[in-house]
Amino acid sequence: MTKQKKYWKGLSELANDPLVDKLKENEFIEEIPVDDFLGDDKNLSETSTSRRDFLKFLGFSTAAATLAACETPIIKSIPYVVKPEEITPGVANWYASTFYDGNDFANILVKTREGRPIFIKGNDLPSSSPNARVISSVLSLYDSNRLKGAMKNGESVTWSDADTDITTRLSNVEGDVVVLTNTIISPTTQAIIEEFGKKYAVKHVQYDAISVQGMLDANKESFGQRVIPTYHLDKADVIVSFGADFLGSWLSTSLEKQYIANRNPKSGKMSRHFQIETNMSLSGSNADIRIPVKPSEKLNLLENLFDTLNGNSTANDKIKDIVAELTSAKGKSLVICDSNDKAIQIMVNAINDILGNYGKTIDMGQPSLLKAGDDNAVAQLIKDMNDGKVGALIMSGVNPSYTLADAEAFNAGLKKVSLTISTALSMDETSTNVEYVCPDRHYLESWGDAKATPNQVAFIQPTIQPLFDSRQIQESLLVWSGDDTEYYTYLKNYWRSKVSWSSSLHDGIAELSADALSLSSFAANVKSVLSQAQGLELALYQSNSIGDGSQANNPWLQELPDPITRSCWDNYLTISATTARENGLSNWNISDGSLNGDMVRLTVGDVVLENIPVLIQPGQAIGTLGLALGYGRTASGKVGNGVGVNAYPLVLNNSYTSSDVKIEKVEGEHGFASVQLHHTMMGRDLIKETTLNEYLENPKSGNKPLLYDTHLGKLAPDQIDLWQAHDHETGHFWNLGINLTSCTGCNSCVVACHSENNVPVVGKEEVRKSRDMHWLRIDRYYSSDMTKEIAEEEGIGAVSKFKAMEIPSENPDVAFQPVMCQHCNHAPCETVCPVAATTHSAEGLNHMTYNRCVGTRYCANNCPYKVRRFNWFNYAENDAFDYNMNDDLGKMVLNPDVTVRARGVMEKCSMCIQMIQKTKLDAKRDGRNIVDNEAQTACSSACPTGAITFGDANNQSHSVTQMVEDDRSYQLLDHLNTKNSVFYQTKIRNRKS
Amino acid sequence: MQKESPIREPLILGDKSYHDITVDVAKPVLAKANKMWWIVFGISLVLFVWWILSVGYTIGTGIGVWGLNKTVGWAWDITNFVWWVGIGHAGTLISAVLLLFRQKWRLSINRSAEAMTIFAVVQAGTFPLLHMGRPWLAYWVFPIPNNFGSLWVNFNSPLLWDVFAISTYFSVSFVFWYVGLIPDFAMIRDKVNEKYWPLRKKIYSILSFGWSGRAKDWQRFEEVSLVLAGLATPLVFSVHSIVSFDFATSVIPGWHTTIFPPYFVAGAVFSGFAMVQTLLLVMRKVVGLEAYITIKHVEYMNIVIMLTGNLVGIAYLTELFMAWYSGVEFEQYAFLNRATGPYWWAYWIMMTCNVISPQLMWFKKLRTNIVFTFILALFVNIGMWFERFVIIVTSIHRDYLPSSWTMFSPTFVDIGIFVGSIGFFFVLFLLYSRTFPVIAQAELKTIVKSSSEQYKK
Repeated sequence: MTKQKKYWKGLSELANDPLVDKLKENEFIEEIPVDDFLGDDKNLSETSTSRRDFLKFLGFSTAAATLAACETPIIKSIPYVVKPEEITPGVANWYASTFYDGNDFANILVKTREGRPIFIKGNDLPSSSPNARVISSVLSLYDSNRLKGAMKNGESVTWSDADTDITTRLSNVEGDVVVLTNTIISPTTQAIIEEFGKKYAVKHVQYDAISVQGMLDANKESFGQRVIPTYHLDKADVIVSFGADFLGSWLSTSLEKQYIANRNPKSGKMSRHFQIETNMSLSGSNADIRIPVKPSEKLNLLENLFDTLNGNSTANDKIKDIVAELTSAKGKSLVICDSNDKAIQIMVNAINDILGNYGKTIDMGQPSLLKAGDDNAVAQLIKDMNDGKVGALIMSGVNPSYTLADAEAFNAGLKKVSLTISTALSMDETSTNVEYVCPDRHYLESWGDAKATPNQVAFIQPTIQPLFDSRQIQESLLVWSGDDTEYYTYLKNYWRSKVSWSSSLHDGIAELSADALSLSSFAANVKSVLSQAQGLELALYQSNSIGDGSQANNPWLQELPDPITRSCWDNYLTISATTARENGLSNWNISDGSLNGDMVRLTVGDVVLENIPVLIQPGQAIGTLGLALGYGRTASGKVGNGVGVNAYPLVLNNSYTSSDVKIEKVEGEHGFASVQLHHTMMGRDLIKETTLNEYLENPKSGNKPLLYDTHLGKLAPDQIDLWQAHDHETGHFWNLGINLTSCTGCNSCVVACHSENNVPVVGKEEVRKSRDMHWLRIDRYYSSDMTKEIAEEEGIGAVSKFKAMEIPSENPDVAFQPVMCQHCNHAPCETVCPVAATTHSAEGLNHMTYNRCVGTRYCANNCPYKVRRFNWFNYAENDAFDYNMNDDLGKMVLNPDVTVRARGVMEKCSMCIQMIQKTKLDAKRDGRNIVDNEAQTACSSACPTGAITFGDANNQSHSVTQMVEDDRSYQLLDHLNTKNSVFYQTKIRNRKS
Repeated sequence: MQKESPIREPLILGDKSYHDITVDVAKPVLAKANKMWWIVFGISLVLFVWWILSVGYTIGTGIGVWGLNKTVGWAWDITNFVWWVGIGHAGTLISAVLLLFRQKWRLSINRSAEAMTIFAVVQAGTFPLLHMGRPWLAYWVFPIPNNFGSLWVNFNSPLLWDVFAISTYFSVSFVFWYVGLIPDFAMIRDKVNEKYWPLRKKIYSILSFGWSGRAKDWQRFEEVSLVLAGLATPLVFSVHSIVSFDFATSVIPGWHTTIFPPYFVAGAVFSGFAMVQTLLLVMRKVVGLEAYITIKHVEYMNIVIMLTGNLVGIAYLTELFMAWYSGVEFEQYAFLNRATGPYWWAYWIMMTCNVISPQLMWFKKLRTNIVFTFILALFVNIGMWFERFVIIVTSIHRDYLPSSWTMFSPTFVDIGIFVGSIGFFFVLFLLYSRTFPVIAQAELKTIVKSSSEQYKK
């Protein structure tokens, strides 16, 4: 028998420690008093733990242990160890800041929650108001496509390595060092570039993606200063715009506030606005008289105007009225033009000079500094690059590989530059071609200053810790110039002597004492600008949402429908119905209603663009085409790539118009994502309108009250009610008034609502299926050549009448109507919900309880205003909807006060109930009443023209109360007697007839 | 002078004896299924599988897999619901109303008509469930005590009325049907040989509730039938009236119409009879019941179809008249748009199938022609589906604000759920035809000797 192996349990056993034996005998070293416990019957019977209790404990422990074994998602919420003094969880902090990206400028207030910026609204200053792009920029902060650190040739690199290499190579560079930026309006940045320039002999070139070179040069020649003027539309009684879309994207400034200031019918006076343009622009759609012309004819009319004012000609029939009005409003008129040609702008200057508008409606003394780009310098730079004269190129705020017409020449030149640095926030078209990408910070993470006019400086302050390992361009330049000052210190030192630092930072702006620019009086050689253009003409424009395309990766903007075409996720050739017919092109609706169109090959000079969809646009001048810039990005990120076509290559000779353009129909069709598929009001009384003269005669004109014939005589709908009224006397009664005369259709409210209420983005395919989720939409209607009156006069039958009514006029009147939940006080939706998920509040609001909703959609069917939106899918955390709500970074923009809705539930405008609640709590805490304009909704606070007024209609001091009682006020579809808390005011146009 | 009353035409042909009837009715249950049955059952099963997949996909992914949109919130889902509920009307009407009116001809067809009702209501019931965004919370529509605070259902909502109307109708129809089945189950029980089919014997014994055929059993049977007929009759009218309230109480032009309740009931009877025709014309051939379901029956039903078809036609015209007479532009446009708008084809299919084609029934030659009847019944089924589609979709796709106007186009899931529900229905009906006595033979035997001639045998 073999010897049995022995295993020791430890060294002690091998060493025969007596303790081992002792332990072997007793499993427990100390005796457990089991007998004491169980042996003592008396003790046991007296214990308070009964057998039943024991079983309960046993059951509970088993259940608890089992449950604990189940996996639940763990979401860590980490509390502050030390609470920052200024942050109270649940309470928002607001910071004043400034937006400027070379294309848009706005003084803003940033709402932060627990250290995250989530909402942007205007800093209430007369000078500016944020447009849709500025409001959306908060989402661009959380763009998952942003660079996480510095890059060299597409590989990560540490900042210190990059700095060492860059500094060494800059010192030994052969050729010029060029800093290519957008227009720099920051005095400190300018100073830093100068300092940097001293060290390396730098050339600074400013480049505007959307050039206004023509105007700058014209002013240089006319007045000796290369600036763009500041306009005062509020002082202009007659505004004549030759194509300038000043309510849209023209000149980076927001003019709608002052435009509307002089269009208040209550004051008995409105400016008269003539728009002579090619594409149907936002300004054109607001104009009192709109004259569609080809770009070439526009110039001929301009020259005709100039000659007529000079007495050298007689007025063309088209502009007879304009000449008469202008001559009778000297010093109170304004003529503007969007042309980027110096000679044309000089002629415009001459016209304004003849009309005596300088110093009155046009201020050259305190000009706008927002545009200073020099296209000649850019052209020279590209030439130098290709000639090998440039040794280093540092780019900031520009994307020339995308925005230049001849990007190929630039890219070729880039290859010949030995050191190329971009400071783009992401790998855009340009950054992918450079050696170093030293990502700049998003403006919401940055310090900065901005001087939009000589007498005012605005400040930029960070509202969040930098998300990534990025560095501001200013700091990079300081480092590369060997200056180790932090940019914040630099900024503070720069301004401390000039302004009161803390209060300026708090206010966002500071006034500067700046003398008016010294100007020479108008002197220029006015040359003829007559055009002999042939064939089809093309006019490029900036779309209302995408602008120059720098924020193309922002899903809010991509899904924001164009206010005119009401299409999103696309650009397209706009074409008039006549021209489309001549070229055999058409648009049609497919079986689910969505819009499809033909595609063409577009030839402009030597440039050929393939497969461009055409969209028939009422109001487009016959024989012309329009195309939006800013689309067709190839390296913007997952959202913006491949949306539309890039129109920048069509900007030939810095001109945004071209003639002798060819289009050729190609195979295939294109699907548009349109949120509105019908364009006329079908003779319905939805937007009530009148003219100024009629209004002055009878304030109720155009707003005839509806009366029903009853056995008690003629009665208004609300007097013949089946239902018991809610009590709206006690407490608040929230009402929202929309002044249709002031609404320019600018879309700011739509995107503000999107941002405040966590409205999901659904993408092009879903929008095509008519499933856009916007809680607030701006309906746009065109007038039709067919009206009820005409049909009656000509004896046209109902069927042909309605068929004809569906077709908009060739040059229609346009009207905008923001529509959100009307908060009916007799709501059709409330009665039909089987589970009472939508109910009425005591404050005149229609509530929607998401977690009670089972999703029958009955409420949406029964809503006459069709404002309810259904969650067809899960839009959050769903790879099929790969937008901001599908990544952790993008989700940081969500408003924590608003639920993210699950699939299968209905949602709609809540009148920003979370904001109302906040206002109520503030007032309650302070023990006071809510004052006028204190309660706001996202849309009302975003409206640049004050068209949306919100308040408590039970409070006589609130402006909404006076508005309710105004003669112009009416409720949409008032015959239904749904008793809406939202009401409208008639649209008034300043027309003769 | 001798006056002899004309002898009533017999309702059963072929000089059937009581035993013949028993054998004929029990045959499909006891014999093996023929090839035809398996082919039809196979097709239905495939469609039913499509239904299961479509339903699974819908519940798993979201209602977005259907073709609905922000403007058209209901389309095929509710169309199918109303269509199936309508079909579910004929059975109870035939057995309850015709029982009260002592119409003996109902006896050959009432069993299958009721079965069709039950199965149609089952199909109908799936749609309100499936069309919910969150069907797993469907129980919230019942007024049950709950721990969600003081949450209660909204008794103002017609959808809630639907819940009550449909569930009541289903339960009463089911009980009525079942009571009628008891003596027939007993017959089958008695015919099953326990030695070969012990399980069958057992099952039919349980199903027949120990029916013994005593006089007392028969007396109670008659009484219960009469009481249930009395209960079911108002339900025939109430259930579709209430379904019509879904539309009638809304504010949407084309929905908000006070004539909807009678109009819907007439339409329901119309479509229900058409479906009974479709099924029975096939069944009498396949199961060999030509002697029981005769041309006479077909003709009677055709007359009902013609009558209700004309009622529906009058309703259509009344709607048009009221739209014009009201002077309300939205109402007028809604009806003009139906007839001439983008869905004009749906409207004219409806008009042709439901109003024009039944007029052919005025000709006796046509209404006693089996093939013609079958084709016409299919026409009516199609027409009535389109009626619901027209009412639902053409009214909401262009309602008040033209800015929201759009169209609806079904996806393959929409189609799958609709076609699949037909498959589901046939699966149930085919299983029924192999396991249930398809003719109420016990009652039918009461009319075998309705003429003295027959007693002479």
